[in-house]
Formats: sequence, C-alpha cells, structure tokens
Amino acid sequence: MNMRLKLALAIIPLGIIIAAVPENTTRQYKLTAPELLDEVKQGMQFVSTDEIADMLIQKDPSLQLIDVRDKDSFDKYHIPGAINIPLSDILSVENEDYLNQDVKMNVFYSNGTTAANEAWMITRQLGYINNYVMQGGLNYYAETIMNPNKPSSTSPDDEFAKYDFRKGASAALGGGGLNVSTDNAPSAPKPTIKKRPKKKRVAGGC
Amino acid sequence: MNEDRSKKYINPYLGGVLLGLVLLTAFYFSGRGLGASGAIKSAVVASVETVSPTHVETTDFYKNYKESHAGGPLKDWLVWEMLGVLVGGFISGAFAGRLKFKVEHSPKVTSKIRLIFAVIGGIFFGFGSQLGRGCTSGSALSGMAVLSLGGFITMAFIFGTAFALAYFARKLWI
Amino acid sequence: MGPLIVYEYISEYTNLLMAFIIGIGFGFVLERSGFSSSRKLAGMFYGYDTTVLKVFFTAAIVAMLGLLFFSLFGWIDLSLIYINPTFLWSAIVGGAIMGVGFILGGFCPGTAFCALSIGKLDALAFIGGLVIGVVMFTEGFPLVEELFYAENMGTPTINELIGVSRGTFGLILILVALGMFFVGEWAERKFPREEY
Repeated sequence: MNMRLKLALAIIPLGIIIAAVPENTTRQYKLTAPELLDEVKQGMQFVSTDEIADMLIQKDPSLQLIDVRDKDSFDKYHIPGAINIPLSDILSVENEDYLNQDVKMNVFYSNGTTAANEAWMITRQLGYINNYVMQGGLNYYAETIMNPNKPSSTSPDDEFAKYDFRKGASAALGGGGLNVSTDNAPSAPKPTIKKRPKKKRVAGGC
Repeated sequence: MNEDRSKKYINPYLGGVLLGLVLLTAFYFSGRGLGASGAIKSAVVASVETVSPTHVETTDFYKNYKESHAGGPLKDWLVWEMLGVLVGGFISGAFAGRLKFKVEHSPKVTSKIRLIFAVIGGIFFGFGSQLGRGCTSGSALSGMAVLSLGGFITMAFIFGTAFALAYFARKLWI
Repeated sequence: MGPLIVYEYISEYTNLLMAFIIGIGFGFVLERSGFSSSRKLAGMFYGYDTTVLKVFFTAAIVAMLGLLFFSLFGWIDLSLIYINPTFLWSAIVGGAIMGVGFILGGFCPGTAFCALSIGKLDALAFIGGLVIGVVMFTEGFPLVEELFYAENMGTPTINELIGVSRGTFGLILILVALGMFFVGEWAERKFPREEY
C-alpha cells in the first residue's frame, strides 16, 4: 500500500479525535507537593489579625481582603473593603485577575482558617503569589479586634500595649469597644510581600 | 528511477514522522522547537567579541544579545543541537555510504558558479533568518507545530518566494 | 509533566546534553530523508522531487498532534512551550529574503549543516554565506531595527486568529497537507527526472 495512504489512515482519525475532544483547560499545578508542604510548615501564608487591623486603619491600598465564605454569609457581615470570592468559585476564570497578580496583598479569610487555607493552597499550587491567610479567621478577628478582652493585671506590658491597640482598632473599625485613643497604638510591622519567581515560558527561537 | 539510489533514502513520509517525533522530544524535554540559524548567531556574537570586545560593548545589539544569552555559545541550546546535527548527519551518511567531498551542481553550471551562488544564497538566508526571527527549522517548522501565526507566515513567504523565483534560477538546478 | 526543563526535572546541563542528543536525531533524520542534497531540496520548486514538502509537513503535523495529545493527557503544559512571537513585517520580509536565499543557495541552515557533515562543499560555501549574512544583520541592525520591531502582534496562534480550537485547526491542517502531498506526487509523475 502507498505510504501516503498509510499516513492518511493513521493521522486523519487522530486529527478527528483531537478536533472532537475539548481542549485540556486544566490549570496545572506549578508547585510540587514537597515545596508546598515546606511553605505550609513555615506558616508563611499567615497574617495576624493585628496586622490586618493596622493596615485597615492606615487604609493601606495594597491590602485586598477576600472573603471565601458563601454569598449569604458575606452579605450578613464582612470586614469593610473585602470582596467575596466563595471557595467554590476560586478557580473560575473571572477571578483570576484578582488572584494572580503581583501588586496587591490578598488576604483570604473565612470563619475559621480551613476554607481560607484551602483557597490559599489552591492558588499557591497554581503558582500565584501574594496570597495570604488571616490567622484565626473571622472568629478570631471578632474576638481580638472587635471585642478584645482586657488582659489580667499580671500580664506583661506588651500584652497591655496590644490590648490598647486592639481597643483603638476596634473603635476605628466600628467594633463594640471603648474610646481609647489610637495614638499610642504600636504599629505592627508590615508584612513584607515576598516575591517568588514565577515559572516562565521557555525562551527559544533562532 | 535509479533503484539502489532511491533505496538509500527512507520514505519521505516515514522521515517526516521521525522528524516530527524528534521535534516533539525537543518540546517535551526543553519546551522549545528545533533551530539552526540561532547557533550561527551565537557563534558570530562570540567571535565578534573575541576580535573586538570594545565594539561589542558599544553596540546596542550585541549588548542586548549578551544580556539575554548569558553564558555564551557553550551554554546555548541551539549550538549543542547543531553540533548534534553534524554528528547525526555524519552517522547517517556513513551508514548509507554517502561520505564524500563533492560539490553538487546541475550539469549546466560549473562547480565555481555553484559555489558562488551558494555563498550568495547563504548571505540572503543568513540575513533573512535574523530579520524573520528564525529559519525554516526554527520559525517555520517549530512555529507550525505550535500553530504560531508567525511560523505560518514565514513558511508561506519562504516557499512562496522560492517558487516565484524558481524559473529564473532553473539553470542552477535542472 | 513537561516541559521537563521548566519543572526542573532536568538540570541546565542535562538540557544541553539533550540538545546534543536531539541534534543527533535531527541530523540523522534529515540526512536519511535526503536533505543533504541541494538538488533534492531544490527539486521541490520544479516538481521533480517533493521530498521537502512531504517531510516538512508530515513532521509539523506529527509534532503538532503529539503536542495536542500530550496536553490532553496532561503530560505537557502548552502555556509553557515557546511560541515564536509574530512581528508581521519582519516575518514577511525576512521570509521573502530567505526564499531568495533558498532558491539561489539550495539549502536552509539546518540542512546545510547536515550536508556539510557528509562532505558537501557547496554546503560549506553556503554556511560561509550564512555567517556573512548574520554579521551583516548584527552590524547593520540599526538600519533594520524599525522593520524588525514593526507590527508586534505578540504570540498569537493561527487558530485563535480564525476562531477555532487547536484541535479543529489541526484537522484542517492535516487535510490541507494530505491534499498537498497528493499534488506533490502528481507533480513528481508529471515532471520526472532520471538523474540528479
């Protein structure tokens, strides 16, 4: 048989198959499991509620809070300035611009940390940078920032400093606290936004 | 048709399939296609630098090239690939008994004319490949495999121009 | 998961070793297919030998199908593969100049190296010309810089341009190529040459 016919018999069916199947749009994980585990162990993704509160008070434009709870919970209550990307929508294409960028510091939060951590793990595995998780979640945020407990009188001084700051933050952010001036609030050190190299397309050509 | 002569070459379709698999291997391992002219450019830049380092420092083109190709020709993928081509071609030629110094030309022209036109053709091809960002292998073949628009355009113009001018150059070949 | 170099399964030096091995395969297949003969290459333009057409398009199709299937199976990430950028005018003018070089010199750079490896002296002359041409380009770059960067279209793929999926365009390309092979074989019968 003619070689051309043999070739045609082989590649035309393959061509029809490839034309008929949908394209593989799965987004590949860019980080290997050990790399991710390493980052989880170091807890690099966590940002404390105090840091968040401080950035909110200072109206830091680089902060972008992302509420990963469902829409109902978001409508009921959310931290001012947060946007809502439910965990189930985290992979949809329209959210990619928010999640895959290197300008803002995204902080995920949910009621606890589980859902937020899941969101972080997914985005991190896709190779996105600048995504973080609020430590303790919304519950802890409410507990520490909105309604801080006065430390016992035997606590060290920095506990009191923290308490004063939280009181102030609470007042500034509309919590149920008292009117303590924010002037003596120690400013939490700003988390540095770590830039990690992205996986790049191969450079080639003649 | 001369039987034993044509037997030494494999069927072109089979050759094409094998070449396609080589290209696929390059994509799978190195994420890039084959190429040829880039190796010459790498060697040219390195030679110019050896001859006149100050010239390289003062010319933007060389400076940019050196920045994007750190490590010089010995770290260049295409240079190693072309060295492989020399070895691979030699092995195949040795098996088929085609190793021989000769100038291939049409009976209508002399070897000298053939060599002169080979140099002229080389100059055109060398210049064009740099302007077109790749030669037949780098731009057209590899570009077509990844469905790059530029690959198809380059391919169409290489073969289109060659077809258009074929009549005027017929004495060189037939 | 490929490409292996991007995922750092292989080191930079292994990559260069792979380049050498891939080059050997490239040179071997080119020589074995007859690309070391300039008259065989030029035969493409006179219809007496369309080996170039057959090998070139078969290779492009096989590699393209391979990439699409690898992507389908999740073996390779197509977004990390190098796609040559499209600068419309430099692609057109560069392609046309290369066409002139092809018909006059009878080789393209890859095949010239392949022909040199089996002792073709016209290939050596062609490579000498290539070096001169490249030097002319690098030295005269300011003169052509504007043309070189004109009409930057990024890295579009042809299927995006006409609005079909990669797979559909692949099928179209396969059918077009098979049509061209048919014409090529017809031309070989119509313009036969005994000896070249």
